[in-house]
Amino acid sequence: MGGYNQYNQEILDDNSKLYDFKPNLVILFIDTKSLLGDVFFNYYQLSEEEKNILFESHTKQIKLLADKVSRNLNCKVVLHNLEVPINSPLGIIDNKQKLGLIEFVKNINHEINKHYKENEKVFIFDYDLFCSKHGKENILDYKMYYLGDIKINFKYLPNLCEEYISYIKPLLLLTKKCIVLDLDNTMWGGVVGEDGLEGIKLGPTPEGRPYLEFQKHILSLFNRGIILAVNSKNNPEDALSVFRNHPHMILKENHFASIKINWNDKISNMKAIAKEINIGLDSIVFFDDDKLNREMIKTALPEVMVVDMPEDPSLYSKTLTGLNEFNSFNFSEEDRKKGQMYADQRKRQNFKETTKDITEYLKALNMVVTLEKANSFNIPRIAQLTQKTNQYTMTARRYFEEDIKRFSALADYLIFSAKVEDKFGDNGITGATIIKKSKKAWSVDTFLLSCRVMGRGVEEAMLARIIEEAQKEKVLTLIGEFIPTEKNIPAKDFYKKSGFKLIENKKNLKKWEFSVNKGYQYPKFIKIEKNGKTKKNIIQSS
Amino acid sequence: MEKLKKILSKVLKIDENSITEKTSPDTVDTWDSFNSLMLVSELENEFGVKFTIDEVVKIKNVGDIIEVLRKYKINI
Repeated sequence: MGGYNQYNQEILDDNSKLYDFKPNLVILFIDTKSLLGDVFFNYYQLSEEEKNILFESHTKQIKLLADKVSRNLNCKVVLHNLEVPINSPLGIIDNKQKLGLIEFVKNINHEINKHYKENEKVFIFDYDLFCSKHGKENILDYKMYYLGDIKINFKYLPNLCEEYISYIKPLLLLTKKCIVLDLDNTMWGGVVGEDGLEGIKLGPTPEGRPYLEFQKHILSLFNRGIILAVNSKNNPEDALSVFRNHPHMILKENHFASIKINWNDKISNMKAIAKEINIGLDSIVFFDDDKLNREMIKTALPEVMVVDMPEDPSLYSKTLTGLNEFNSFNFSEEDRKKGQMYADQRKRQNFKETTKDITEYLKALNMVVTLEKANSFNIPRIAQLTQKTNQYTMTARRYFEEDIKRFSALADYLIFSAKVEDKFGDNGITGATIIKKSKKAWSVDTFLLSCRVMGRGVEEAMLARIIEEAQKEKVLTLIGEFIPTEKNIPAKDFYKKSGFKLIENKKNLKKWEFSVNKGYQYPKFIKIEKNGKTKKNIIQSS
Repeated sequence: MEKLKKILSKVLKIDENSITEKTSPDTVDTWDSFNSLMLVSELENEFGVKFTIDEVVKIKNVGDIIEVLRKYKINI
């Protein structure tokens, strides 16, 4: 890449090696001392006006560099903020000045942070916080700094790399979705089967607090969308009574998407959990205080990330919060609710097993499906669904937010999302369709459902809505496309089952036709809501 | 000498047997300014010492390293 201290030239020159290399991620580390130069030492010789001008020019320059990289490369940019100095020549009255040196640097950080808050490509890495975390007294090895202009003690390079990896993991889709927990000596201290409900350590005592806080941290991850499960060798009655009756238990049964408390081996339980939740083993992080159990899982299921839990429970929380496995570059309302949605799914499954047949089950679910036209609220989620849905998707066409925005502004597109709720909770927006309109026929470009709501008539409700709209506009024909992929077998027969006629049968593309006049019934057991936030839009455009 | 050779070989990616007191940046291509610093860092960690900046600057070859380590009562 570029030479020493050549970052300005590399970034500003459109023909530089940086742009030639086309990286997927660029990390921009601008050092406070290098940026400020002699101002770092003679800051207080400047007039107030000069300080303000300098502030403007530095923030402008940093923004210019980051913007230029992200525009030229269309990649993620990780932009370091500046290390705030720990000394000022004015000492204890630095912050009594109109714009103190320390405040000056902090303000640059603040301004840059504010500027990129809504930006989807530039991410601020809080390097100042990183330095604080490891101690600003130690972060610079002065000898190395003078010898080779080394800005960070070699000792902390691995830590810095770890921080960078936090950005690389979501880029390569290597992040985790689910935490699987052991119970005895992991969620609480002691063995409930031996010590009893009153004997276990959990609560506001010195030996109970580590477990209490650990659970609180787990809960906060659940509330940001991480799925939870239990894998414990225990007597189910004993263990469940802790969830139900212990006054200090933070996590409850309804936080868990899968609960395996039995005397089976932990490996088969782990596999069953992955199957039940329908996630890969490589999406799982496992917490178990028992070293043997951990080794067993590590050996048998190497895809599972097994956390090396410390002996001392007072270090559990530190271990958990130190993980960088749960990062993502964006965060939708659906992501936030994911943990809850998966937990609701378990209740749904239990309920399904107690009902006689599928019709009775679907009826008793009291489903409400809200079909909503594309709007600023659901567009990000629609794009996300096109990116992520692999099983129930007719064409598996992938779109970005900008694409959906563009389509939705055009008159010849009809786009809507399907939100699914039932007596067990809100599944959120789990279906979407994109229709390309022409006078003679409408063509279904995209038709997809998240696997969470497959087989519950939501697809029929969506199709009924499309046909209803087509009838309103006096369109005669609806064309359904199917592009086979390795994974979309569940969607293969939907058009056939719905009364479509096969009109084109190529290996890579099948086209199905439906005469709109025939009409199509909404499923009786689903309540359809069209009067969401966008009722007006629907009426205006139809 | 054994431990020192190991460190030199690891940092500079050279054969341990090729190392003598005369080995220097002039005789080893990989012994550049950055690897010099890596070497200082590794030596400090492995022998549990902290060199002064003057000591580091004076090092011109492996013999010099041995001399500095002796000052810290490390016998090579």
